[in-house]
Amino acid sequence: MMSMEHALPALRLMLAAVLLGAASAAAQQVTLERDSPLYAEPRLDASQVTQLKLGATGEVIGKQGAWLNLRTPGGSGWLFSFNVRFQSKQAGAGDSGAGSAAGRLFGPRRSVSVTSTIGIRGIEEEDLKQASFNADQMKLLDGYIATDQVAEQSARATGLAPVNVEYMDARK
Amino acid sequence: MKGFFRHWIVAALMAAVSGHAVAASLDLGRLFDVGKDLTTAAAGLDEKDEIAVGREVAGRTLGAAPLVADPQLQEYVNRVGRWIAMQTERPDLPWHFGVLDTSSVNAFAAPGGYVLITRGLYEMLDSEAQLAGVLGHEIGHIVQRHHVKVMQQSAAVSAGARMVQRSDRSVLVNNLIGTGAEVFARGLDKGSEFEADRIGVVLAARAGYSPYGLVEVLHKLGASAADDTSLALLFKTHPAPGERLTQLGDALAPRVAALPTGKEPAIRQVDPNTPPPAAAKAAPVEGARALQQQEEGGTTIPSGGAPGRGGTVIDPGGILRGIFGR
Repeated sequence: MMSMEHALPALRLMLAAVLLGAASAAAQQVTLERDSPLYAEPRLDASQVTQLKLGATGEVIGKQGAWLNLRTPGGSGWLFSFNVRFQSKQAGAGDSGAGSAAGRLFGPRRSVSVTSTIGIRGIEEEDLKQASFNADQMKLLDGYIATDQVAEQSARATGLAPVNVEYMDARK
Repeated sequence: MKGFFRHWIVAALMAAVSGHAVAASLDLGRLFDVGKDLTTAAAGLDEKDEIAVGREVAGRTLGAAPLVADPQLQEYVNRVGRWIAMQTERPDLPWHFGVLDTSSVNAFAAPGGYVLITRGLYEMLDSEAQLAGVLGHEIGHIVQRHHVKVMQQSAAVSAGARMVQRSDRSVLVNNLIGTGAEVFARGLDKGSEFEADRIGVVLAARAGYSPYGLVEVLHKLGASAADDTSLALLFKTHPAPGERLTQLGDALAPRVAALPTGKEPAIRQVDPNTPPPAAAKAAPVEGARALQQQEEGGTTIPSGGAPGRGGTVIDPGGILRGIFGR
């Protein structure tokens, strides 16, 4: 079985194919959360293809920043991604990450195997309430700290550079 | 008296992280300066105290679930997290980041710079930009001192009772813990969560990532949970992912054209040779139920809906409580 490291390039190609508008085997359906214009381009000042109503559905054929490229009965265009909700997976369809519309859109992920949950449950409130300080694990955590220099070097090597962006206020 | 207050502060902070009050009295008087009186402690925890409390909270969380045994992964998350924290007003906190070895989907922020994300959540992420959004949200809670503020508010609320019952120490302690329980059972208010979302978006953008990683994660959580009835209670007690998306979208809409595009680097995978998450405790009953639920519901999100110890029902929202800092 291919490891995720090896599978990644192939998966990215698949994603790229979807973004290019190639036929997607599984439709990625979204539902409108509020009435929203469908724009010809991913900009609020672009011309409107149509006005979609709350509850309308569309098929996702791509994304760009805050925008989703949608195919709808009334035409194709760009919708502000906050105004839709991804439809959850079909009942019994299995994995909730790779199998869901959101999972497919944002890149396939390996599924968590069933064996990983046998006899095991996750950390819960009871665990936190009853847990005692783990000095050994804390020592490990201390050892993993990154310095500013290391963090910046790594970020730059990844092609990241700081950008001036102001905090934003809530909108009434 | 001072000692009892200190105990309560830490208990309350534990509760802030776990989402529940901790009734046990803790021997943590050493965390606070001896000369500090009650009023000072309540009104102005200094940064040193904040860090000490956060460290205690993080250490206890590690007692519930250890770190994933993948040092390269842990160092990677620390590099990413530190880089984001460097874009804040508190770059000099002792920032610690860790991936907890549990299949639960969750993330925690403790005061003073401690951020823990579960393997369950980490493995849902597709890009470093999404990781940056999640870490940015947690970092936002810490930079804004959200937990500390709630603690101070509850200290003010209990001040009256403190004066009346000063003569009876046991009543006093119970009263303080009771007040803490009431406040922290509600968790952070929605406003704090929405604020942390907005900060997470901005910090990711400042660090050079796509601002929309957090948005994608919220979409994922919404789609994952929508058909999972065991998560119904989560949506009664917490802002649902959809509500957070609406809030975030409203705040972002006027800014969207001006925000940088940013980068979406690949995220580092957990070493495939790392064994599946270890059990926090052996729990055959819950485990069997989880498996049964998985078979019935087809979900791989671990459900917290199974009856817990002593027949009490664990809040199904428990698995998601703490997500991004609750």
